[in-house]
Amino acid sequence: MSGTHRIKVTVNGKLYEAEVESRRLLVDFLRHELMLYGTHAGCEQGACGACTVQFDGRAIKSCLMLAIQADGHEITTVEGLAKDGVLHDVQEAFRNAHGLQCGFCTPGFLMVAAALGEEKKVLKGDALRKELAGNLCRCTGYANIVTAVETYLEKVGGAAQ
Amino acid sequence: MKPGAFEYVKASSVEEVLAALGRFDGDARILAGGQSLMPLMNMRMLRPAGIIDINGIPDLDTIRLEDGRVHVGALTRYRMLETSPLIQEHLPLVAHAVRRVADRQVRNRGTLGGSLCHSDPAAQMPLCAQTLGAEMVIAGPKGRRKVAAIDFFQGAYTTAVDPLEMLVEIVYPAMPGARVTLAQQTRRHGDFPTISVAAAAIVKDGVWTNWRIGMGGLSDRPLPAASLCAFLEGKPLTEALIAEASQILPDNIDPIDDVRATAEYRISLAPVYISRALTALLKGEGR
Repeated sequence: MSGTHRIKVTVNGKLYEAEVESRRLLVDFLRHELMLYGTHAGCEQGACGACTVQFDGRAIKSCLMLAIQADGHEITTVEGLAKDGVLHDVQEAFRNAHGLQCGFCTPGFLMVAAALGEEKKVLKGDALRKELAGNLCRCTGYANIVTAVETYLEKVGGAAQ
Repeated sequence: MKPGAFEYVKASSVEEVLAALGRFDGDARILAGGQSLMPLMNMRMLRPAGIIDINGIPDLDTIRLEDGRVHVGALTRYRMLETSPLIQEHLPLVAHAVRRVADRQVRNRGTLGGSLCHSDPAAQMPLCAQTLGAEMVIAGPKGRRKVAAIDFFQGAYTTAVDPLEMLVEIVYPAMPGARVTLAQQTRRHGDFPTISVAAAAIVKDGVWTNWRIGMGGLSDRPLPAASLCAFLEGKPLTEALIAEASQILPDNIDPIDDVRATAEYRISLAPVYISRALTALLKGEGR
């Protein structure tokens, strides 16, 4: 009854063409069809933020979008951050501040933080925590995550302010 | 977890949406931002035969000022409300309240029209629409009609929009220069509030007029606080007046017991949060 649809979507700069079922969620499309396992499926109801990717440059939860909605759009996943084996500044900041423990929530945090960095937002403390409120860390390692993002935003946005 | 099977329709105009709604004979849902619809479908609490995606419809997300009224397209995303200079200037209550909606990712994607049609009794955008006395423009098989907020919100997750109709625009009376606030109790940032009070007023030479106050959490829908507004109208706002005003609850209150609070607790919170809202306005802490 639902049928399939042909989509063209750019993921991490690479154009993919695929046949998807209407009900295919974007997160499942990325993981099961493009084999990009970096994006994690956590709660699958929009509460945990682990599946956050960038959709046309904006952080969104990929469990709340259909793959078919990505047709003609650009997606960036955590795999798109590092270039030629060199970590992205936000990944470097997480590494230096020990901003991860088990690592499950990390891809989601990285994609939100990277989007903030691209907007040249320099945020700290409470204001930053509010911007990160869509992501849960079940290890509760928030202090180091916030420190990592603060350091990253200061590095990339400092000059613009 | 994934949604049940459905037929996907990508609409490129309001007319196409209405035609598709007719074809599914009420068993279809409109997909705007999807921030409430998709969780419900993932959990299989909803299994519509059709999903009509309106994200490709042009000009459904415009914000314009006309004759003292702000017209906002139903597909306008929270993020656009947050960043629009026109909303900042002419609808300061909406600009203030939208920052308290959910989280960054949800605000990047979720829409004003979606929030109003979903009509969660605790949500901020329905509260602001009720508080400001917005009108909703609804398109249907017989043309367009306007419904006032007081008639639009009909209960928890229930609005005046018929299954064969679509909300296309929200029209707010502009309130440039208003002092605004949103006092709400949430246990976690971004969660739906247990109780909320939205308030706006114009202050000139120490006299407070044009009061608009609404409350969430005291019924299955946001309520306008008409008696409270009438009581405050045209008076200088003082701590003594606030103490008296905080006892004036909206008519028709009927709070529920749920996971967030008991009905009794909500009623006991009401005067506290009215007082906090008015005090914030008095001290200029809202905006």
